[in-house]
Amino acid sequence: MEQTIDLSVDFAGLKLSNPVLTASGTCGYGDELAEFMDVSKLGGVIIKSITPAPRKGNPTPRIVETDAGMLNAIGLANIGLERFVHEKIPILEQLGTVVFVNVAGQMIDDYVQVVRRLSQERAIAGFELNISCPNVKQGSISFGTDPSQIRQITGQVKAACGAKPLIVKLTPQVTDICVLARAAVEAGADALSLVNTFTAMVIDIENRRPVLANRTGGLSGPAIKPIAIYLVSKVYQDVAKPAGIPILGGGGIRTASDVVEFMIAGATAVTIGTATFVQPDTATRVIDNLRNYCERKGIRSIRQLTGSLQ
Amino acid sequence: MKNGVNAGHKGVFTAEVLSNQQIRENYYRLNLRLDAIGSRYFQSAVPGQFLELDLSELPLPPEEKIPPALRDSAHRHILLRRPFSFSDVIVLPSHEGPCVKLEILYCVLGPATLRMMSLTSGTVVNVLGPLGNGFTIPKTLKRAILIAGGMGAPPLLHLGGYLKRHFSEVQTVCFAGARSCEDLPFTLKIGNITGLVLEEFDVLGIPSRVATDDGSAGFKGFVTECAGQWLSDNRPHPKDTILYACGPEPMLAEAAKLAEAFDLSCQVSMERRMACGIGLCQSCAVEIKTGATQTEYKLCCKDGPVFDSRKVVFQR
Repeated sequence: MEQTIDLSVDFAGLKLSNPVLTASGTCGYGDELAEFMDVSKLGGVIIKSITPAPRKGNPTPRIVETDAGMLNAIGLANIGLERFVHEKIPILEQLGTVVFVNVAGQMIDDYVQVVRRLSQERAIAGFELNISCPNVKQGSISFGTDPSQIRQITGQVKAACGAKPLIVKLTPQVTDICVLARAAVEAGADALSLVNTFTAMVIDIENRRPVLANRTGGLSGPAIKPIAIYLVSKVYQDVAKPAGIPILGGGGIRTASDVVEFMIAGATAVTIGTATFVQPDTATRVIDNLRNYCERKGIRSIRQLTGSLQ
Repeated sequence: MKNGVNAGHKGVFTAEVLSNQQIRENYYRLNLRLDAIGSRYFQSAVPGQFLELDLSELPLPPEEKIPPALRDSAHRHILLRRPFSFSDVIVLPSHEGPCVKLEILYCVLGPATLRMMSLTSGTVVNVLGPLGNGFTIPKTLKRAILIAGGMGAPPLLHLGGYLKRHFSEVQTVCFAGARSCEDLPFTLKIGNITGLVLEEFDVLGIPSRVATDDGSAGFKGFVTECAGQWLSDNRPHPKDTILYACGPEPMLAEAAKLAEAFDLSCQVSMERRMACGIGLCQSCAVEIKTGATQTEYKLCCKDGPVFDSRKVVFQR
């Protein structure tokens, strides 16, 4: 018996055709991936961090592989707000999927400036607030580890979003992530994104120096998945579920079963990042395999997975 | 959407190993036959482009074949693809569309290339490519001077063959250098006039010179010194001569200086650590001059790997 499976999810007031998005910093400005897959099949894309002025980023080496992941220290390299608006928005309008933009800066005004300008663009559905990048010297993660600063920045940026939803991306590198999640939700976050990468180091034993020019970088990939699952489940139970706020989960996802795991833990939608570097069409493959999982388990709507942890 | 599979596009496909021959200790020549999709992608691939292989699922070679220096790290897991240039692309037309054979020269250096030793005829590998922008060959080119350092040699071998096939009027000369004789991914033989030459270039009718840092073969010293002497003696015309260089970054910096000294234009093929090869990860940054004092980062994978040497800020 053929039955239709509904993969769509409601996420922060938006309807996504499925719960799979490509993570910020791993899908460029959205156009690069179009050569490898039908981007319109995605639940959405999250465009890499945009800052008011262009940023060159860190010196190289910017990445190094580890046994089950990789470290990156790109340093928020991006073309800046103006060029983004003129060169990339026309492309994003053609993608046929839901587009979020990750926003970064050194001061709260930087974030507000980017969001205020982009909130006028029809091609942009919402924003992801990057207060958790471990690879820049100022701003970002320093906002993300202090609940009072999270409240402040979330509140001010939310006010600049207009009707568009604001996702706050949390760093996992705090004693109690729930304190920060709660601060973001109380200040108006429409969704929580977790986790960003973990600060890590790889040393070249021949010259006793860190491999990365930035010395440290953010660890991503399969290595961090079980930690991310744990944190999603914790934030879901303690903050997101009581507040009725969705979680965008991610960290090391490579397969549909990884997505299911994140959803059971409490994620409404997920992001695929590092895996795209290896197999550019990972996200669309995962979507197809999600359908297979649902069929096998007799699940009609994938929404029923969210927070179904026993 | 995949807009059909056309020349000029890139993508993921499979290739079958035709042969994987050891050419000397730690150096191998891998020949692949691309599937129908890959053949269409690669039919117009040019020298200087590259591809990425997924080596994560290849088995290790038998314990006794693992070079002693890699025994400790052999079991490390591989996650990311590895980039490789190619030393030849042969397009065989057939009524079912083109069939492309491709040659890769590789050196066993770490846990990923170590796994390549296990490739045997018939093994299927997963390929992403062709990637990046190759060397530019202007119509006015009359003389091409190739400078290869160590494992920078493959794309220049491809360029040599490509010039012979498509630009037969261009006079080409190749200088190949390495730390020592064992690090040259070529077959050496005694030439008629010039002493040691490279067999691979000789069969193309391209004169070549060998330089080794330790003097174990050919000219004793850096390959750029060897090329510099030749330039002093021959003084090629700046208008129709191009230096093409691929090798370690300090060598490329020297090639750039050489080009400046002889007023020649020079294209360098750069190398960077990269995760994706397609412009997503932004890790393979190359610093490029945009003005008298300004620079910006371009991506080795997407904007390069070949750059105009005058624009590159070389790393020390």
